[in-house]
Amino acid sequence: MAVTELNIADVRDAFLVSLNAIHSLQELDDLRVKFTGKKGELTLLLRSVGKLPPEQRKQAGQEMNSLRDEIDIRLAEAEKIIRDAENEKLEIQERIDVTLPPKGRLKGAFHPVLQTMHEIADIMQGLGYSVASGPEHEEDFYNFECLNIPAWHPARDMQDTFYFNDGTLLRTHTSPVQIRAMLQYGAPLRIVCPGKVFRRDNDTTHSPMFNQMEGLLIDKDVSFSVLKGTITEMVNAFFGRSLKARFRASYFPFTEPSMELDIECVECSGHDEDCRVCHGTGWLEVAGMGMVHPNVIRAGKIDPNIYNGFAFGLGLDRLAMLKYGISDLRLLFDGNTAYLLSGWGGEF
Amino acid sequence: MLVSWNLLKLFVDTEASVDEIAERLTFSGSEVEGIAHTAGKLNGVVAAKIISLDKHPSEGKYFVATLDTGAGRKICVTSAKNMKLGDMVFYAGEGSMLPDGTVMGTRDFEGVMSYGMMLSAEELGLHDVDDPSGLLILPNDATAGDDARSLYHIDDTILDVSVTPNRGDLLSILGIAREIKGLFPKSQMLRPEWLTPAPQVKEWPETFGRISLPDKGCFAYRLGLASGAKISGSPLTVKIDLAHLGMRPINNAVDVTNYVMLMLGQPLHAFDLNTLPAREITVRAAHKGETMITLDGKERLLTERDMLITSGGEAVALAGVMGGQQTGINQDTSTIVVESASFSPVRVGHTSRRLGINSEAAFRFSRTVDPALSVYALVAASNLLKDWCGAEIDYKPIAAENEIYQPKPIALSQRKLSVYLSWDDMNEAARILEGFGIKQVKDNTFLPPTWRPDIAIEEDLIEEIGRFRGYNDAPDKLPGELPRRADIGDNMRLAGTIRQLMTARGYTEVLTYSFLPENFTELLRLNHDDLRAKTLNIANPISRDQMSMRTSLLPGLLMGLKAALSSGWRGQVRAFEQGRVFIGNDEPEHLAGLVYNGRDNRSPNNDRAEAFFDIKADVIAVLRARGLEAEFKVGSEPFMHSGQCAHVWLEGKCIGWLGRLKPVIEQNFDVAGVYAFEIDLAELGMCVKPVFRLASSYPASFRDISLLVARDKSNHDVLCDIKAAVLEAGNINLDTLRLFDVYEGKGIPEGFRSLAYSLSYRSEDRTLKDDEVEAVHNNVRENLKRKGYVIR
Repeated sequence: MAVTELNIADVRDAFLVSLNAIHSLQELDDLRVKFTGKKGELTLLLRSVGKLPPEQRKQAGQEMNSLRDEIDIRLAEAEKIIRDAENEKLEIQERIDVTLPPKGRLKGAFHPVLQTMHEIADIMQGLGYSVASGPEHEEDFYNFECLNIPAWHPARDMQDTFYFNDGTLLRTHTSPVQIRAMLQYGAPLRIVCPGKVFRRDNDTTHSPMFNQMEGLLIDKDVSFSVLKGTITEMVNAFFGRSLKARFRASYFPFTEPSMELDIECVECSGHDEDCRVCHGTGWLEVAGMGMVHPNVIRAGKIDPNIYNGFAFGLGLDRLAMLKYGISDLRLLFDGNTAYLLSGWGGEF
Repeated sequence: MLVSWNLLKLFVDTEASVDEIAERLTFSGSEVEGIAHTAGKLNGVVAAKIISLDKHPSEGKYFVATLDTGAGRKICVTSAKNMKLGDMVFYAGEGSMLPDGTVMGTRDFEGVMSYGMMLSAEELGLHDVDDPSGLLILPNDATAGDDARSLYHIDDTILDVSVTPNRGDLLSILGIAREIKGLFPKSQMLRPEWLTPAPQVKEWPETFGRISLPDKGCFAYRLGLASGAKISGSPLTVKIDLAHLGMRPINNAVDVTNYVMLMLGQPLHAFDLNTLPAREITVRAAHKGETMITLDGKERLLTERDMLITSGGEAVALAGVMGGQQTGINQDTSTIVVESASFSPVRVGHTSRRLGINSEAAFRFSRTVDPALSVYALVAASNLLKDWCGAEIDYKPIAAENEIYQPKPIALSQRKLSVYLSWDDMNEAARILEGFGIKQVKDNTFLPPTWRPDIAIEEDLIEEIGRFRGYNDAPDKLPGELPRRADIGDNMRLAGTIRQLMTARGYTEVLTYSFLPENFTELLRLNHDDLRAKTLNIANPISRDQMSMRTSLLPGLLMGLKAALSSGWRGQVRAFEQGRVFIGNDEPEHLAGLVYNGRDNRSPNNDRAEAFFDIKADVIAVLRARGLEAEFKVGSEPFMHSGQCAHVWLEGKCIGWLGRLKPVIEQNFDVAGVYAFEIDLAELGMCVKPVFRLASSYPASFRDISLLVARDKSNHDVLCDIKAAVLEAGNINLDTLRLFDVYEGKGIPEGFRSLAYSLSYRSEDRTLKDDEVEAVHNNVRENLKRKGYVIR
């Protein structure tokens, strides 16, 4: 009996000593085999229980079982600690410089004018306007005649035109879509038409190709107040804040009366006399508009005695330049991603 | 249109300041683009009399003058030679300032002190008024000591007014004065003295035949006569007025015609009676093919739409546009015939637009000149010819008329006024219209004046009221409901989807010109019969870079690449563009992308350079975004690498291409490794309904197969063969078919490569048994062998 007790204590001591010396999962595994394997010290001890006198067996059995439980628990604890330590070591070896550049393709950038076009189309959709479109290669009939600009009229001087040999032309404004949309959909009507337009002009403030968005509303008893409310709402939504606006009387052959919209300078709000955007005037011209001329409504095969409406034309390039601080119109169309990348989440 | 404040004061008496008027004009439709003060910083310059004049004692090129400045005597030295004793000149004494801000001092001229200087016209900021090398000699009535600012309209304020094409009536000082009267109701119109008709009763000294107007485009034609005119310079004030308005003084007779035009808006033409081919004038349509040489020396080819002023059958002027060479005023002219006519704006507009002549006369006639003006203008011209040239003018004018435009009354309804402007005070409206010369003829009916033919319909009246009142006070409203929803449309939606997808895949959106350069077929190596070489050509291009309309988006992307490179960019370029191309009469919407690896694509991450298969993934991604699966077949394009080009096929239709740019084109751009694609978006615009498919709950069985394939046989063809082989092999579905290895080299015969595929078989309703899969797969292998494949 004394022998068994002693042996149990010895085995326990021996296990604890060995366990303390262990530093790797391999050594831990060896230790497990050494004590709990088929020929392990604890296994042999357990087998020896049968040789004890019957009155001692019960107690010895209990003690040995608790030793076995203790060994299992201690092994499991040791394994957890050693595994964590070994993984920590491995992770340290696998450390990378997370400040190195990323790999693969990043996000490309939107073009400011097209972004403007999509934003405004969205805003106008919210106000009940659908998007209509028309050809860029247009007929004189739609581009001029229907819009109350006969061939002799000096108003044609306002729009220097690219022609083709058959007398067709590149549309000088998105206004021909007014006619096409009226002919296609009739009244009442609410459309916007974004698109490219072309004029024979090329300098720092004029590009032979630029972008407009036409708006047209045809209904009964349409008031200038609705035009004013609509365009103010649109401009404020686009710039994301309420801007001061003023309307000046103007002239377009296809509207009567006609106006132009100036908005408060988005750069200086009129507080900088040397402002490079408004040149100190405090105002920026952003849109032309007016009540649709009865001749134009008639050209759209709608009865001007029943229906009237308004139309407006926005310079999308100018709005984009104002919103995103671009100074030279021509940079917008040279396809140079080196410029376009520097902003808009572009990559370097 | 330049407007002189001094001259404006001859026509209108107003309390409004220049700035108030400028603002009101701007808001009522005639934008004032600038206000200039002609005298600038001019200060302390006075008229002075030369009371002694001697040669410089030592230096021959100088003269020494003693001046009576009205406030004492001053010595002045000058190198000018045109003055004489007793002349009046402008004297800028010490401390005085010229218009440009130059401050005068004393200066030693070879031992003689000059206390300030005597001025030329140029030094006063007056261009073209006088000989710039001599002193400006003043008229004798000048008084020594008078401030230059108070003399000869030297001090004026010039407004630069942008007149819209509908307002021909504003192209004169009179017109602007009337507008001011309308905008500032307290103003009073004035009438300059020279508008008062002199008694003109005498017959012409020699019989003048008749004026005939067979062309109805000439509404009225009048001739006035002035005899005994002495041609010389105009009065100094007139010269200065003309110069301020941007017109060069010529001589007193020509200046009369220009002055009257600027003042009243009526273009006039002065003939020397003795150079007229006959004593007769006919205004007729030109014959098709007829020619005449205009004043600028150019021979003009005419059509029936042009109008000619002829005399004795000879063309003397292109009516309303430009005079001829023969009949102008010269130094010896003494008998002057002044033409004051009224021409159809349509006819003059056609002629001046077609011939590209934008003379002052054509500019005005095409914008409409008040037909009633021709009478007054002739009165004005006669009076001024008398005043400035000493001519006798008491001859009866002779005239002929056709039907002349008469304004028609227009009804204005209170309801319409109220709808348009949200304002409806009819009494106030009538007062506003009256201010613009539009008379109320009976209840709510108004008659515009002869100078406002642009007012023809009710909306025009509403505009007059609107622009007087201004538009800023109208309430803001939004439109009511529409019986249908707003739709952004398939095209815009597709464009939105594609730009989100392409930017997420690392492409930057660009927008390039829709034009092609002259040499683009060369650039893209296109054959003449290529559809893309048959461009729509611009008849009046402005640059060799913009000669025709694009048939492909590739040139624009390549120009963008070129621009990026020349701006010093060395990294990767990935760009895409969506837009229309012009093929025949169609404008299909295309999408194109371009990837360039960069001059310097080194990276610590060992990113491999992008190549064909990267852009292939991009094309597939775009199509999948619309639920479409395309086939990629070996293709060829003249601008693509002959071994790295594929065509994209959708439902039996080729919708585009992708591949590497032809190396020889890359070399032209001094780059290597440019990949591009372009597809027609027509098929992508369709509404695509995705099909939902449940993940299978039965496992798939995987088998690999490795084939020895001739090098020039494409993966696409092999895939087709394998699919066919599976179909023939038995009743088991091929779930996926995936190429996982391509190998050539050691162990593979020359001219062959090994393609290894992973096939998975799967049933939708049961777990496949191993032996049935094995049996089918064996059949597949046998089928492939029969098709001539060697299985490795």
